Amino acid sequence: MDFSSLGPGAIVIDEELTVSQEAADVYLLAVGDAEALYAEHQVTPPMAIAALAMAAAMRAVELPPGAVHTGQELTFVRPVMPSTQFHCSARVGQNSVRRGTRFLTLQIQVTADGHSTVVGQASIAIPEEGAA
Amino acid sequence: MAGPPKTLAGAAHQVTQEQLVQYADASGDHNPLHVDAAFAAGTPYGRTIAHGMLVLAFLSAMLTHNFGMRWLTGGRLRVRFRAPVHPGDAVRSDGRLRAAPADAQEITYDVACWNQDGVQVISGEATIPQALL
Repeated sequence: MDFSSLGPGAIVIDEELTVSQEAADVYLLAVGDAEALYAEHQVTPPMAIAALAMAAAMRAVELPPGAVHTGQELTFVRPVMPSTQFHCSARVGQNSVRRGTRFLTLQIQVTADGHSTVVGQASIAIPEEGAA
Repeated sequence: MAGPPKTLAGAAHQVTQEQLVQYADASGDHNPLHVDAAFAAGTPYGRTIAHGMLVLAFLSAMLTHNFGMRWLTGGRLRVRFRAPVHPGDAVRSDGRLRAAPADAQEITYDVACWNQDGVQVISGEATIPQALL
């Protein structure tokens, strides 16, 4: 996918996503989060959902190695149980170039059973080729 | 009834290269800037850097610890990634309550992550509902 040609509203991903209990445990171990609350309440860590969704969107737009994640917005709307099937979509918010840097925003929406679960927006700065 | 805490303090997280590889596997973000030392050496960073979403997870863990299901059900984060975090860095999160009227339906904290040298690596705000939605 050529990210430079993507206009506002362009769909980047539109796919199903599942976070198993095992995947959630691997995520919690990786981030060093030993909070017992997730198991006690049988909820998938929403940061795990957000991380997987953001990574999928960033892979889809094939960001170059020089791209920098500069900002992040997240809203945890509704917790869900492990192994719930999510629908994950991402669209381009902004895509513009100023002073040799491209500023791209990706808007993420994750739903389960038609209800919003996690909403977010990633801001990414990408040096333009040939820019000083 | 006690009001919300005026300040928050998270646990210190010692970031390691092994952790970056673990996080890459867990999240699916295998950008070589995070996991390939040879590649990262040729970038302006000079060495690998942590995924922004990994460091943000430290911040979210602090909020989960303090607010539990209220954070997981209606919590909002808005942050800027201000400086890279490298393997070997020790990252600590904190938060400071903004003015919160007693009848406010949500409370907002200025939140940040800092490295061992006192450099702010993340700054932003977190908003938490006063009651479970």
